[in-house]
Amino acid sequence: MNDTAIVAESARRFKWVGTRPIRPDGVPKVTGRAMYGADLKLPGMIYGKILRSPHAHARIRSIDTSAAEALPGVKAVMTSADLPEQKFDYIGPERVAVNFWHVTRNIMAREKVLYEGHAVAAVAAASASIAEQAISLIKVDYEVLPHVIDVDEAMAPDAPVLIEDMITRGVEPRPTRPSNISKRLEFAIGDVEAGFKQADVVIEKQFKTAAVHQGYIEPHATVAKYEPDGQCEIWSSSQGHFTIRALTAQVIGARLSDIRVTPAEIGGGFGGKTVTYLEPVAAVLSRKSGLPVRVQMTREEVFRASGPTSGASMWVKIGVRKDGTITAMDGVFKFQAGAWPGSPVMNGCLCAFAPYDVPNQRSVGYDVVSNRPKAAAYRAPGSPISAFAVESVLDMCARAIGMDPLEIRHRNGCRIGSPTIAGPKHAHAGYLETVEALMRHPGYTAKLGPNQGRGVASGYWFNAGGESSATIQVNADGTVLVATGSPDIGGSRASMAIMAAETLGVDYKDVRAIVADTASVGYTHVTGGSRVTFATGMAVVNASKTVVKDLIKRAALIWGVDEDGVVWEDGHARPAGSNVGDFPPLSLKAIAAKAAATGGPITASHGVTAGGQAPGFSTQFCDVEVDPETGKVTILRFVAAQDVGRAIHPSYVEGQIQGGVTQGIGWALNEEYIYTPQGLLDNPGFLDYRCPVASDLPMIEAVLVEVPNPAHPYGAKGVGEVNICPPMAAIANAIAAATGKRLTELPMSPPRVLAALSES
Amino acid sequence: MAKVVFTSGFARRYTGGVREFEVEAKNLRGVLKAMDALFPGLGAHLEEETTVAINGEYHETGYFQPVPPGAEVFFIPRIEGG
Repeated sequence: MNDTAIVAESARRFKWVGTRPIRPDGVPKVTGRAMYGADLKLPGMIYGKILRSPHAHARIRSIDTSAAEALPGVKAVMTSADLPEQKFDYIGPERVAVNFWHVTRNIMAREKVLYEGHAVAAVAAASASIAEQAISLIKVDYEVLPHVIDVDEAMAPDAPVLIEDMITRGVEPRPTRPSNISKRLEFAIGDVEAGFKQADVVIEKQFKTAAVHQGYIEPHATVAKYEPDGQCEIWSSSQGHFTIRALTAQVIGARLSDIRVTPAEIGGGFGGKTVTYLEPVAAVLSRKSGLPVRVQMTREEVFRASGPTSGASMWVKIGVRKDGTITAMDGVFKFQAGAWPGSPVMNGCLCAFAPYDVPNQRSVGYDVVSNRPKAAAYRAPGSPISAFAVESVLDMCARAIGMDPLEIRHRNGCRIGSPTIAGPKHAHAGYLETVEALMRHPGYTAKLGPNQGRGVASGYWFNAGGESSATIQVNADGTVLVATGSPDIGGSRASMAIMAAETLGVDYKDVRAIVADTASVGYTHVTGGSRVTFATGMAVVNASKTVVKDLIKRAALIWGVDEDGVVWEDGHARPAGSNVGDFPPLSLKAIAAKAAATGGPITASHGVTAGGQAPGFSTQFCDVEVDPETGKVTILRFVAAQDVGRAIHPSYVEGQIQGGVTQGIGWALNEEYIYTPQGLLDNPGFLDYRCPVASDLPMIEAVLVEVPNPAHPYGAKGVGEVNICPPMAAIANAIAAATGKRLTELPMSPPRVLAALSES
Repeated sequence: MAKVVFTSGFARRYTGGVREFEVEAKNLRGVLKAMDALFPGLGAHLEEETTVAINGEYHETGYFQPVPPGAEVFFIPRIEGG
């Protein structure tokens, strides 16, 4: 189905849902007037700067800040001694089990530095240059320790141990010696050994992926203003200002009600801005100096000190019968967590085989620390990594039995009721439809030239629900304000306005959607997990329905009839029948004009814990050409089919798919962290850390497959993440088709491709 | 009656390795209370650490979720995304 057909289909049922109105944040952004984290300047504001570790691994013997404190213009200096100690405990959701003993040490090192760039101390001064000079005056006495970067090396028995009392969780009996392995996980259904015995072909392979950064254009930035009465205001670029409030409060020892966080416009996050690095530092510097403080990272600091996603080492084994039936899938997934535990390895284990209806599955995961920045979430965290290995081996299986790669996926694709390795059965369709969309695509059978190949891969992501809030205000002139607590990263202001306009029956242009601060709207979880259109959308629709009930009540009052004699249709109150009376329809605008006389301001708030979210499925194919002389891989065509539930604003949905695929192409072909022998990052900038740019890419074709989710009022599913899962394997499979060489390590950069081509 | 299922890791930690239970409950609050009666303190762990799938459909572990007769209630570690 092409997107024109989708818009037409939605337009038949809805007035606004499925249309492409102009984005409300467009003009401020293209005119340069949008206020990002680093744009705010308060009266009397001073400038913070962080001293960072020059070593990959070292013990801190002492820190002497006296010279910095004596420098004229310096207003405050802080170290970890200014933050309260935290209890050692893994609390909160398992995947992001927050251990504040770790969190506070990542924000400001205590006993040891665990990676180059680890924050050690901070200053605030009257100018950025004075702050820069001041941090150079801080004397830190380090005992340099051996370091380890690679995940396999970090797991070796003789590896330098980062956290000296860390005993692996999830292993029985409990190990007696500390190691860098934070946790072992295992999930299984059926009997994989029996499954492999039923197979005609069994293929297993080892894989490695590089750690890659989320690559948001806007570096981390914040401004904090701490008042003498203990009230603290923070302006921050993040994916969740309520989460920033909660993390900051815990780290600095404040109450939630003492901190108000206002979200700045955000210049990209992709998961990397769901955590805090700077806000507690800025808050403490402001508290100590009595002045507003801005702290922002340089691009180099972003690379050295903020979370990439994990690199990984993996082994995957798949068995198939000659008819294409998969009999067993098995995998071991070792993920780098960075300096502190908490990689997305559980997601990698749970998503690895999820697109397939296979009775025998097992995945074993290891969460491993090493001397790199702490990993943070990145678009479907964990799933793209395991998908690279699984989808590569599945492609090898298809070739071994002579079956088309879409056909083998369709034959084994999950349906409602298929088992999953986590235990619950699939409750939603959508995967097979993505495969079928590509089978019908004319490009899939287009002829290829010399050195060209076509590759296919699929992906799965859970999508999230959870807590969201919305407040709707109807203004006296009939315009409508929609306030939510969801930072707008992927177009949520437009989709919230569309859903409010649809539910209220008013013109989209009369609805203004904003992102409200933590004191002005109810708690809302992060913009992440592809949850906002689903969960916050549900809060907006429910609040709109409450407003409609109120409007009906007021119309009944104006007409002097019972409320059940009034219905709401197309933005107007109308008599429910001829027996009610002959009243001309009352528009929302007309009722709003009588707000004072009919009961006061028209407003409604709704909070929801949204559940029943449907997962995301994506299947993609790409055509590549491999230059046999240089090893350069050129993407000729990229087609991505995704089940989007219902596209509320199709242009934004297409943008999400194109963005996810683009990031996947970068992950596949170029992006990696390069370390010196001393464990120092050698490419902390966009010149040497090579993200794809427009001239590297063809137009990425997004195929929107709509299998609506009945749990959402308009059928929405999360669309932001699953699109990044297939590209790495799709490209590896295309390279294999073009060259006959199977690449198993990312990135598949020209030197690595050339080396593979030169192998006999 | 509803069938309550835990992952093996969760069962190992909290229920002596037993993964499946039958409980009488109309909503998730009832399931949590029933499990807490069997293993004191378990209810809090379930609330803090899990997402729940009721007949395969994922929800946050909220008290109000209805549990239909014969439902399979599967507690798994909570999922969060980027």
